[in-house]
Amino acid sequence: MTLQDINPGEYCIVKKIRGNNLRKRIIDMGLITGTKVYVKKTAPLGDPVEIIVRGYSLTLRKAEARTIQVERVDK
Amino acid sequence: MNIALIGNPNSGKTTLYNELTGAKQSVGNWPGVTVEKKVGKLKSKNIDANIVDLPGIYSLSTISLEEEVSSNYIMDKEMDLIINIVDASSLERNLFLTYQLLDSDIPIIVALNGMDIIDKNKEVIDHKALSIALDLPVIPISASKKIGIEDLISAIESFDLSKKRKQISYNKQIEEVISLINEYIEDRFLSIRFFEDGLVALDHASVPEEKQPELIELYHSIKGRFTLDIDMIMPDARYNKIINLIDKFYNKNDLLKITTTDKIDKVLTHKYLGIPIFLGIMFGVFFLAFGPLGTFITVQFVWLIDQFFILIINGIAQLGMSPYISSLITKGIFGGLAAVVGFLPQLMILFLAMAILEDSGYMSRAAFIMDRALRKFGLSGKSFIPMLIGFGCSVPAISATRTLDKDEDRKITAMIIPFVSCGAKAPIYGVFAGALFSNGSYIVVFSMYIIGIMVAILSAILFKKTIFKSASANYIMELPQYRRPTLKNTWLHTWERSKDFLIKAGTILLAAFIIIWFLSYFGIVGGKITLLSDDEISKSFLGYIGKIILPVFRPIGFNDWRATVAILSGFVAKESVVGTLGILYGVSGDVVENGSALYPSIRAAFTPLQAYSFMLFALLAIPCIAAVSALKRELNSNKWFYFTLAYELVVAYLIAMAVFQVGSLDSGTILTILFTAIIVVFVFFMIKKFIKQKGSACASCDEFGSCSLPQKIKYLDKKGENTNEE
Ligand SMILES: Nc1nc2c(ncn2[C@@H]2O[C@H](COP(=O)(O)OP(=O)(O)OP(=O)(O)O)[C@@H](O)[C@H]2O)c(=O)[nH]1
Ligand SMILES: [Mg+2]
Repeated sequence: MTLQDINPGEYCIVKKIRGNNLRKRIIDMGLITGTKVYVKKTAPLGDPVEIIVRGYSLTLRKAEARTIQVERVDK
Repeated sequence: MNIALIGNPNSGKTTLYNELTGAKQSVGNWPGVTVEKKVGKLKSKNIDANIVDLPGIYSLSTISLEEEVSSNYIMDKEMDLIINIVDASSLERNLFLTYQLLDSDIPIIVALNGMDIIDKNKEVIDHKALSIALDLPVIPISASKKIGIEDLISAIESFDLSKKRKQISYNKQIEEVISLINEYIEDRFLSIRFFEDGLVALDHASVPEEKQPELIELYHSIKGRFTLDIDMIMPDARYNKIINLIDKFYNKNDLLKITTTDKIDKVLTHKYLGIPIFLGIMFGVFFLAFGPLGTFITVQFVWLIDQFFILIINGIAQLGMSPYISSLITKGIFGGLAAVVGFLPQLMILFLAMAILEDSGYMSRAAFIMDRALRKFGLSGKSFIPMLIGFGCSVPAISATRTLDKDEDRKITAMIIPFVSCGAKAPIYGVFAGALFSNGSYIVVFSMYIIGIMVAILSAILFKKTIFKSASANYIMELPQYRRPTLKNTWLHTWERSKDFLIKAGTILLAAFIIIWFLSYFGIVGGKITLLSDDEISKSFLGYIGKIILPVFRPIGFNDWRATVAILSGFVAKESVVGTLGILYGVSGDVVENGSALYPSIRAAFTPLQAYSFMLFALLAIPCIAAVSALKRELNSNKWFYFTLAYELVVAYLIAMAVFQVGSLDSGTILTILFTAIIVVFVFFMIKKFIKQKGSACASCDEFGSCSLPQKIKYLDKKGENTNEE
């Protein structure tokens, strides 16, 4: 399951990040194995997605969200 | 002493810089406002220090040009002291950079900014305990509320530069690796950078060529030691330390579930309402500036200027000065200036609206909303921010392209920004729309802005399809909290831009007007240079030049040499187009000419269609000289620079010509052409579709984005295949 499959309003935990152009930046912005992420919404045109991680709001494209493997958790 | 302000984007560095130095650098509520280094003197009686404001960075591993400025500055240790601005309202992420900095031996003071928000939310951060834990001074401040600035200055003054800070130590496994790398790279800081970034870090370390293979060997062997991916190890260690600190020293208010930002965003980035609201905001701004309200204010303002100038002119008449002087003053200086300055109120409304957008936090939302649409053109939502700034002025907009992380989208964005209608072009529309399209004038003006954007986007598509085929921009962006625009900031933004406009009017434009006046009121009559009267002006020098060039402009509807001259003067500054019109057409009787008084002569000289074509050409043709030099700097290549200029000129000419020629036809012919065009386009797309179906080897590209080139080839190659593994 990847971040892309998580619906707005749900929580998940990062398992692994596959290679992508922004991998290092995503890690430095706080998405690391074990980090809890809240998916807030998708943009009006369906992409990018807005997530809440480490208490701030980050937006990234589905192309990158697809490379982030996660596990759904409740709250 | 050099003191550098280092911190996350949008953490308040420039706000603090302005407080510390008394400067007035631009501040805005989105990440990426500052794109270059700025230096100023610290306001202190006791020490002599330079404060350096730098672009914001999230991490020392950078992905864009403007970030590199800051990270190189740190890696090369060009400062004696770092003031690390930490935004208290997202402490966890901000401290990540702090921890990266702590690996170095550069002296650091932490300025904990935005404490007003922490107080407002009834939260507590134990900054004293934090200071002890990190072994450096932590000063709580609020840069925008001017709280704690004095404390910070005295902390700087009393800082003991010779004192060594307690080193951050990691777990045994990590320390082992660091000491292994340390054998090649002496510096601990650079060793850690190497551990994190791979070979890119070696740009700043001196490792002999022959040792490098060994080092790479070592790097690969390290990978096997950890369960986590190698580039996650240091971030993971840091974030764990940070969470520990925060648990101990930060008393969060858990009751704050739904913030104001959430509520506002519910509407502004709403699934269906988001885009209509965005378009509504844009239209609202132009309606305010060019609709009934803006026009009303302008008319009043122009009346005031009239009264003022009439007073002066009457005074001059009484003094009985020579005809040269009174012609220069009344026709050259006042004729030109009054025409331009009359538009100040409308421009101020435009600037005010821009300032509110910039200070509120809406800019990043606009980028968020538009990313999907812009991706098709090889751009990202982030390209939209420079384009929006372009509505104010192209010069800062072109510089703002530095925040984009790839060379191609940076180039494409810079190349299309001149098509976005800047504030200085507004007076041109004001004059023509006001004179010839009385009722729907703001619709005509709005159409200019829309056409500008359309041409910009179509050009982006063209560039992407032809020259920058591999363009595919990345997008990752923080959405800052909304802030109520402060009166001070909004006013400062509006005033600074209005002041620029007035200063330009008083300097470059004034000089240009004097030259244009001279060239248009003097000519050679009977072998002698003489002052011409109003009806002889076509015999002037400018008259000759204008008439020579005129044939070139006939196809786009110009049949008066004065229009050509006015358009050409726009190269100096776009405002001078209207000023020149004021000088050249301002000859029909009245002494003082200005925006509204120009109307009768414009009505006499232009048909609405000609005026529209004139406006289009002014909108799209080569930008003013300041924007041209900004383009040259950012494109950083003569080839692209000259290409852009030529491209813009050709596009402007073709579009103005098409509109004029089609507009001149009768309706039957137009329908015929339209019908033919639709058929041709239809056939073209059918053929294209057919061809595509036959040879689509790369159909899966879009779906997985795997065909796009990795953005930092150097970075990936040097690091080995690690980042590409499954
Ligand atoms: N509430 C509050 N807002 C602040 C404070 N300091 C700065 N701001 C606001 O934060 C926003 C960002 O400020 P800037 O000074 O432009 O931030 P910067 O760090 O220079 O940003 P970049 O140049 O983009 O890296 C602006 O809207 C400021 O008004 C503060 O102490 N409290
Ligand atoms: Mg700044």
